[in-house]
Amino acid sequence: MTNKKDIAIFLLLVVLCAIVTALNPRFLSPANLQNTARLIGAFGIFSMGLGLVIITGGIDLSVGSSFALLGVLLSMMLTEWHLAWPFAVLAIVGLAALLGAVHGLLITRLRLQPFVVTLCGLLVYRGLARFIADDETKGFGDAAGFRTLQRLMTGSFFGAPTPFVAMAIIGVVMGVVLHRSVYGRHLFATGRNEVAARFSGIDVRLVIVSAYVILGVLTGISAIIFAFYTNSISPSSHGSFFELYGIAAAVLGGCSLRGGEGSIVGILLGTTLLQVLQNLVNLLGIPSSLNFAVMGGVILIGVVGDQILQRRAAHISF
Amino acid sequence: MRLKTAVALACAAVLVLAGCSRKGSSTRRLAFVTNNASDFWTIARKGTEKADAERADITVEFRLGEGAAAGQKRIVEDLLAKGVDGIAISPVDPANQTAMLDDAAQKTLVFTHDSDAPASKRECYVGTDNVAAGRQAGELLKSVLPQGGRIMLFVGQIDARNAQERLQGIRETIAGTTIEILDVRTDDTDQVRAKANVAETLVAHPDVAALVGLWSYNGPAILNAVRDANKIGQVPIVTFDEEDETLTGVKSGAIAGTVVQQPFEFGYQAMTLMAKVLAGDRSGIPSTRQLFIPTRVLRQNDVDEFRKKLTELRGR
Repeated sequence: MTNKKDIAIFLLLVVLCAIVTALNPRFLSPANLQNTARLIGAFGIFSMGLGLVIITGGIDLSVGSSFALLGVLLSMMLTEWHLAWPFAVLAIVGLAALLGAVHGLLITRLRLQPFVVTLCGLLVYRGLARFIADDETKGFGDAAGFRTLQRLMTGSFFGAPTPFVAMAIIGVVMGVVLHRSVYGRHLFATGRNEVAARFSGIDVRLVIVSAYVILGVLTGISAIIFAFYTNSISPSSHGSFFELYGIAAAVLGGCSLRGGEGSIVGILLGTTLLQVLQNLVNLLGIPSSLNFAVMGGVILIGVVGDQILQRRAAHISF
Repeated sequence: MRLKTAVALACAAVLVLAGCSRKGSSTRRLAFVTNNASDFWTIARKGTEKADAERADITVEFRLGEGAAAGQKRIVEDLLAKGVDGIAISPVDPANQTAMLDDAAQKTLVFTHDSDAPASKRECYVGTDNVAAGRQAGELLKSVLPQGGRIMLFVGQIDARNAQERLQGIRETIAGTTIEILDVRTDDTDQVRAKANVAETLVAHPDVAALVGLWSYNGPAILNAVRDANKIGQVPIVTFDEEDETLTGVKSGAIAGTVVQQPFEFGYQAMTLMAKVLAGDRSGIPSTRQLFIPTRVLRQNDVDEFRKKLTELRGR
């Protein structure tokens, strides 16, 4: 069933790419494909985590603020405290996982709503980032002592940008976890009907907490990629609203905000579509002011089309 | 007799010193309110602190805004309730904050700094003449593009007044030359988008003659994107403000030049002028009610000296 949805969004993507290529053949130039693939990788990694949380019926609004907090900390660890970079990377990913665990525990143990918990996260992490950075822009200077990490994050692997390669590897792992494992089925079951899942013996709390922890880990990885992409982290604006890109990608990719639906391929196609949309705005010289309108319009077309297809499928099966 | 005089003098000296250190009851309380939080304001803060330290007749309270008009309104109301004698503010949204500024101006002395609200009843504006800054950037462009060419501009929000004015200054200067503005791309202060906009411009317009960043973070965004595309030295870059990376870029020659403001002077001059006005001396207010702090163009050779000064000001 998810396959049909994935095929629909894939077709939408292909049509869009064909139109853009016809209007500006530079769309397929290696430089442009590399630029776009790099961004797809950076956005795709955390979007998969966000999709997982959405599949369990949750949401996370704190991702963008986490990027600012983690980015600021990464810069300070590397340039001010001079920690060894492997340690700094582990610390960032670990901290992100810890934040995810805290969200999960607040949601499952105190029965707080995910929207509320992560809304608080959005505010708290942004504030902490600004406080820790003393409201100053943080950067990486000449990257002395961690050039390997910088090269890894900004470089390419046989022509493919490393963030994209990382996304592909994580995507395969996540695909297996979500669609081919017992744990994956538990995720879907929890999202579709939490009570029923609990009665059928699934440790629903553990499933939900684990989804937030996975999102945390992926947010940590994306945070490092974004920090090196911009190479400067201004705590008041870095990553602002990026959670919405993740949510939009998940919804475009067939996830239902009510939970219980979605696929990794769909989320990655959704991410790709969003990035291609932003790319075409620049490539076709569409005024920047229309950027968000174009994005919103295409998301709407995507979900309306999906809804119509579903209804038709329901009719046929009757 | 001699002893008496000595004692009297000593007493007077003690009183004067006490007055200096504690700042007596006649001290005026001034507030300096920013539009958001950034490095820029850290430097302005030093300027207000210098004015505070120099003048016995004022104490300065420094308040960071949060980037929204509502937050500034709360800060201003809070300050009015405390009964401050003067507020210098950088309005986030001047057109729609006129009523708030007029209201405050009835109760206390109001200056604008950094961004002006000319329609309001503010007493004076202290800050950059962004049209003039734009002209300086335009001159830089003319010097790096003697043959002319098509250039691309980048900014967070084009409807912001300073963006408009800088753009106007650039347009005025390049009018009549063969330099042509392709477009202005905006990123809504999303720095990932800011860099992607540049990368995509380099793809869409391989012949682009120069790249101009109108807001401070656009400098590093342009520099990083051009570096990733291996086009350092091929496309001249002109920027505004003094982000660390921008300065490094100017020093290395990757950026032709950057137009910098003097936020330290915003803080210092605004507070000093307010103190004078409150003391009854209005001679410092220009007839236009706009006290412009000139902008500077930094080129390769100016960076070291500028950086040294900046480090001192930031206290790092």
